[in-house]
Formats: sequence, structure tokens, C-alpha cells
Amino acid sequence: MIALDAVTYTYPATAQPALREVSLSIPDGQFCAVIGANGAGKSTLCYALSGFIPHFFRGELSGRIRIDDVDTQAVSLAELVQRVGLVFQNPFNQMSGAKFTVREEVAFGLENLGVPRAEMQTRIARTLERVGIADLADRSPFALSGGQQQRVAIASMLAMDPRVLVLDEPTSQLDPIGAREVFETIRALIEERGTTVILAEHKLEWIAAFADRLVVLANGRIVMDSSPRQVLTAPELERYHIGAPRYVQAARAAREIGLWPADRDLPVTLDEATEGFSSSSSLNSTRLDLRNSRNSGN
Amino acid sequence: MLIYLTGRSGRLHGLNPITKVMLTLVVIVCGFVLPGVWATWLVFGSIVLPLSLWGGIAGPLLRAVARITLPFAISLFVIQGLFFPGGTPILSLGPVSFKAEGLQFALLFASRLFLLSSAFMLLLLTTHPGLLMLALVQRGLPANLAYIIVATLQIVPRFQARAASILDAQRARGLETTGSLLRRLRAIVPLVGPLVLGSLVDVEERAIAIEARGFSLRRPKTSLIDIPDSRAEKGLRRGLIVAPVVLIVARLAGWLR
Amino acid sequence: MDVRVRDLGYVYPTGVEALRGVTLDMASGEAVAIVGQNGAGKTTLVKHFVGLLRPTRGDVRIGDWDTRTKSVAQLAARVGYVFQNPDDQLFSRTVGQEIAFGPRNLGLGESEVRARVAAALETVGLADQVDRHPYDLMQTQRKFVALASVLALDTPVVVLDEPTTGQDAAGVERIGSIVERLQAQGKTVIAISHDIDFCAERFPRVVVMGQGRVLLDGAAGDVLARAEVLAQTYVEPPQLARLALRLGARRAPRNVVEFLQVVREEVPFT
Repeated sequence: MIALDAVTYTYPATAQPALREVSLSIPDGQFCAVIGANGAGKSTLCYALSGFIPHFFRGELSGRIRIDDVDTQAVSLAELVQRVGLVFQNPFNQMSGAKFTVREEVAFGLENLGVPRAEMQTRIARTLERVGIADLADRSPFALSGGQQQRVAIASMLAMDPRVLVLDEPTSQLDPIGAREVFETIRALIEERGTTVILAEHKLEWIAAFADRLVVLANGRIVMDSSPRQVLTAPELERYHIGAPRYVQAARAAREIGLWPADRDLPVTLDEATEGFSSSSSLNSTRLDLRNSRNSGN
Repeated sequence: MLIYLTGRSGRLHGLNPITKVMLTLVVIVCGFVLPGVWATWLVFGSIVLPLSLWGGIAGPLLRAVARITLPFAISLFVIQGLFFPGGTPILSLGPVSFKAEGLQFALLFASRLFLLSSAFMLLLLTTHPGLLMLALVQRGLPANLAYIIVATLQIVPRFQARAASILDAQRARGLETTGSLLRRLRAIVPLVGPLVLGSLVDVEERAIAIEARGFSLRRPKTSLIDIPDSRAEKGLRRGLIVAPVVLIVARLAGWLR
Repeated sequence: MDVRVRDLGYVYPTGVEALRGVTLDMASGEAVAIVGQNGAGKTTLVKHFVGLLRPTRGDVRIGDWDTRTKSVAQLAARVGYVFQNPDDQLFSRTVGQEIAFGPRNLGLGESEVRARVAAALETVGLADQVDRHPYDLMQTQRKFVALASVLALDTPVVVLDEPTTGQDAAGVERIGSIVERLQAQGKTVIAISHDIDFCAERFPRVVVMGQGRVLLDGAAGDVLARAEVLAQTYVEPPQLARLALRLGARRAPRNVVEFLQVVREEVPFT
């Protein structure tokens, strides 16, 4: 379990806090997505969950951050890294530069942990398979595409067997293929149900389909915390400068003119939207009416 | 930027990096402690050249060493030859003349430079930098220093790519980069500025990335890679210490002139 | 200003043939999105517009200029190019100075420069940040600074390379309205983007590139419905288009309003 209790944090030499009274408790194995406008505090939250706040960034921190029973302020960052993995936006900057092949790159964390060689080899092989990059094992980390590098970064964290993996907008700088590869990797991880995953993202379509829980940040506060469906169909989402998924927007507009069944939930995925729009005969008659009224030259 | 060559006969490649480091140091000490130009070339001909032939890298080694030392040697010969104070002229070209002592000095200096670079080339052409750093760290080199060296080797080439992007981006904003000296000087800040500032951001992110993989953990690090070593090599290394020690003592005792 | 590309071919010094005969015409007041997988030749193509690359075959004209006869600095007066990574351009101590850099290079007088800086800042919504160091801003805000510095050049042609990377909904919205405003001013706006929904909403015309060639070129509503062709260059139709196509429509709706029209008029009865 990873939890923030009334956490308020201000970066050094900054006037406004980046997180305000944030309380969030994430049980083991949950997939929690975090969304919010830029500057709302998503990255800060990710750093707080992985111990980089307070250890790396200093600044003023009040409240408690707990990873299982460990208070992150009471232990060193080095002890926290085994429990929480962090992946962030820029794939290139996550390649350590210390290693010449992907296999060694994934070994880097294990070497720092002092894992014996035989165990290292097993864990690396397993992780490369798990992330689907076994075919890249002998390539240089710097000769890979962004999507491949990002998966190497994920593998490097997973090799350390953390309980929690925090990902801060991992697909922002990737092309659609790379983004898809990364989402597939995360999805496989979630299906194993072992690791708690916390993902900050802008791409709502994928989150809607796979997240267990969706948290909305605005101005450093948590303003919504519920299921993806409830959050993404809530009318007040716009207030926080987050655009609702286009399926929601389309269905909402359609409902007003009778093209979406009034008693049906708004769709958050393509499948739900397809089903809804092709479902009932009442839609057909509405369509027929609209078509007729248009044709009669109004 | 790696000068390490793969795919050669592999004999030298397979040796333990420390063995090769010691060889390099022994060659350098011998070449510098033994007096006279002839000693330098003797060391080269009896140790470095045979080893490079045995290792299958003689060609690349000689080419690399020539590229490094030739420019220096030429300017050495010219400057020392012409301007050595109080020397005896032996060759005249109009108003200026080359001095014998100057040429001798240049010859000694150039020969030592040749030996120095060939000894290092012997090491660097046959030793993967990652392996070399690992071996040194296992013998006490600070891990942070080793990291800086290796990361620099890998990341600096990407700098060049970034510098090219920056050049494109600024030219597209109307920056003139050709023409008068003044124009070129004015172009420096817009070209170097983004490179430096952007690198600061990158450095911070990379620091977080390696921190997140336990780089600062204070426990002994293990390594995935096993560095090849053998009893024969261990014995050789012990033996290799002897020669330079003997030579240095001899030099200090005045037995070598 | 018209941009005219005729049978453009380009081979990199490494031997890679990035463009294999591209022909395109873009007129003043047009907004065109160029989509396609990485390596399709999109960036190679637009680099020709500002003269950073010279054709190996064919030619590119910006207005009456053949790009082969002009320097990059000269072309910068006609083509404003906003690069993907803002950190490749930012070097000044304040946002204001940064935006002034381009206009000063064009040789404009100080009062004109100041006016343009103010206008550009207003357009991107950073007027209150004029005296801040660019690196005190978030990366997504720095993208707006880079955009503003090109807007200040007031060029008749504007090229945007992945303008919405990392932006939140408000940022994407602002960039979209800037595109529309530029278009309304009669400029030619060309954008490379992986954000296919953004392209659908803001660009009436879409060019699909794959392997150095133009695969499709036409109205967004038609082009973005051709899912099989898009798939060749690893592009998926926008969300609403996918939905409409699944429901049996033939056109790709560009926004919610068009979607509803398509549903009313085209979708067959079940």
C-alpha cells in the first residue's frame, strides 16, 4: 500500500505549493491513473510517491508519505528505490550512459543492489521477456527508437522487483507506435496483478479502458477520485481544463437530440460508443424523423 | 567515439584489462627512464610492435599513432630546430638555420610521444571501455568517476546531433552563421546557449534516473560481466612490476646515463 | 503565400532516400496537416521549405522564390519554422528577449520589434511572463515561447513540427485557435503531427506520407476515412472517425457536430 496523508509540498525558491493537502491511499495491485492540466501537480505527485520528494528536491514538505509501513522521510532515498520504480517522459535521459548493451542497462540497478550474478542473469532474462524486448538485448541503448528506449527504462525498473511502478507521462514524447508499445507493456504488467501501477497521462482513451481508478489533480489538490467512468463522464471535468474523451462529448451531444438512449451510460471507450449508437430502434426513428424534416426543406 | 576495435584476432582482446594497463605503464616507464632516443625505439620495437602484430592490430595502431604524433613532430622539429637557444647550426635555409641540439631535442621528444601514444593505443584499441572501467572500479577507482568517464563517451556523440539541430533551429530564425568574424562571434551564444542550458535539464533528469536505480546505495556493487583472468596473467602482472622498479632504481642510482 | 513542391526527391548523405518524388501545392490561407509514421519523410519535406535541405531532384518554391537560390536566413523571412524541441532554440535571459531575437535578425527597428513581441506574447497567452527566464517555465510553456518567437517573424508561411506534444487540453485548444487565426490572416499553415485528433479538428486538408511518398492528399473528411491506406503508414483514424466508420459511415467527421451529421445522414438503419 502506498499512501499520502495530507501532503503539502513547495519546491525550493517557489512561492506557491505544488501539492496542497493531498491525501491518497492506493492499495496493492491497483492501477491508478492521474490526470490534470499541466502544472496541476502530476509530476510532483509522482516524485512524492517515489521518494524523490523530499530527498532529491528538498523544498518544504508537510504531511506523511508511506510506502507500506515505511515513512519515506525517515529512510534514505537509496532504500526507497527498491520499493518504487519511476519512469518519466524523456526516454533518452533514462538511459544511464554507463552501459553499452540493453542487457547490461537492465542489470545496472541489480548491480547497484549487489545482487549475485547468477540471480541477476535469471532476473534479467525474465524481465526482458516480460517487457517484450529480449530481441534488443545486445543492442546499444542509444541506438533504439523512443518507444524501445522507454521499454528499456521500464524493464530496468521492473528488474529490481519494485512493489510499485510510477510512470509520469511515459508516452508524451513518443510517436503512436511507441506509445502503443508502452501501453501494451503496462497492460501486461497490470494483468499480472502483482505490481501497483500509478500512471500520469494525458491520453484518456487508453486510461478509460484499463484504469481501476482515476484521480484528477487541479492546482495541487485532488478534486476527483473515482472510477474512470464516473470521472470522465462528469460534467464538471471541463472546469479543471481537462477535455472529456470525444466519445463522451459525442454521446452527450447526441443525447440532447435523441440519438443516444437517455437511460444509457455515456460511453468512455470506442466499443461502448459503437454499441450505444448502433443499439436501439428509437434511434432509427429519430434519425428518420430528422432526415425527413431536413428533406422537407426547413 | 569508441576507438575500440572488435573482430580482430582477439588475442590481446581476451586479456584482462589490468594486465594491459600494466603493460602500458611498464612500456611508458621503460621508455622514459632508459636514456637516449635509441632506448625509446628499442622498447617500441621489442615490446609494442610485436604485441600489436600478435594481437592483429598493428595496422590500425600505426595509423592512429601516426595521426596523433605526426603534426606534433613536425612542429616540434621546426620550432626546436630553428629556435633552440645557443645551438650549433647544421643546415641553413637562407637567413635561418636548423640547430643540431634543437633537432636532437625534437627527436627525443617526438620519439617519446610516439611511444606514449602507441602504448595507450595498444590498450585502447583492444580493451572495451566498459570492461576497463569495471576492472579499475574493482580495484578501487571511485564508481562516480568511472560513471562520468563512460557516460561522457556515450553521450557526447549525441551532443553532436543536438548541436546540429540547434544550428538548424537558429538558422531558421534568421541567424547568420557564415561571413565576417563578427557575425560568427555573434552566433556563438545562440548556438552554445541552448546546448548548455538543455544539457543542464538533461543532466538533472539523468541523475534522477540513475538514482532511481540505486546508484548511490552504499553497498558493494556486483557485476553482470565477468572479467576474464587467468593464473598465467596474474603471474605476468606480478612479474611486470619488477622491470620498471629495477630501471627506476638503476636510474636513481646513476647507473644509467 | 503559395508553397509549390514539384517532384521533390532527397537522398541523405548517408544514402537514405527520404523523399521519392513528392508533388504538392499549398495556397495562401490553407492549413495543411502532414501525417505518417516516423521515417516517412515529413520532417525532411518541410526542412526544404526553409532551405535547411536542398533538393537532390525536383524543386520547391516559396512564392516566387526557388529555395535553391536563397539562403536559410533569407527564407526565414518567408517561412517561420517552429521546431519540435523548444530547448533547441531558447538561449536568452528573458522570454521577451528570446522572442525579439528573430525580428531583430530580420533587421526591424526597435519599436517594431517591441510591438511584435507584445503581440506574439498576447497570442500565446504568456504576456505576464515576459521578464521571466525561459527555463523557469514548464517545458510545455517553453513550447509556447518558441511558437511566439516564430509568430513574431510574421512570416507568410508557418511550419509547426509536432506542436501539441505534451500539451494538456487547454494548450491544444490554444494552439488550435492560433492555427485558425493564422489561417484567417491568409497565411499558409503547415503542421506535422502525430496527434490525429488535433489534425482532424483544425486542419481542413490532410496529406498522408509513407516511405518518402504522398499516399493521400485531400480534405480531412475524405482522407481520414481511408483506414487501410492510413494503416500502411501506421496512422489510425481519429477517434470520432473510427466510431463513425464502425457505424457504417464513409466520411470521417472532424468534430462532434460533423459526427452527429454523419450519424443522422449516413449511418444505415439497424
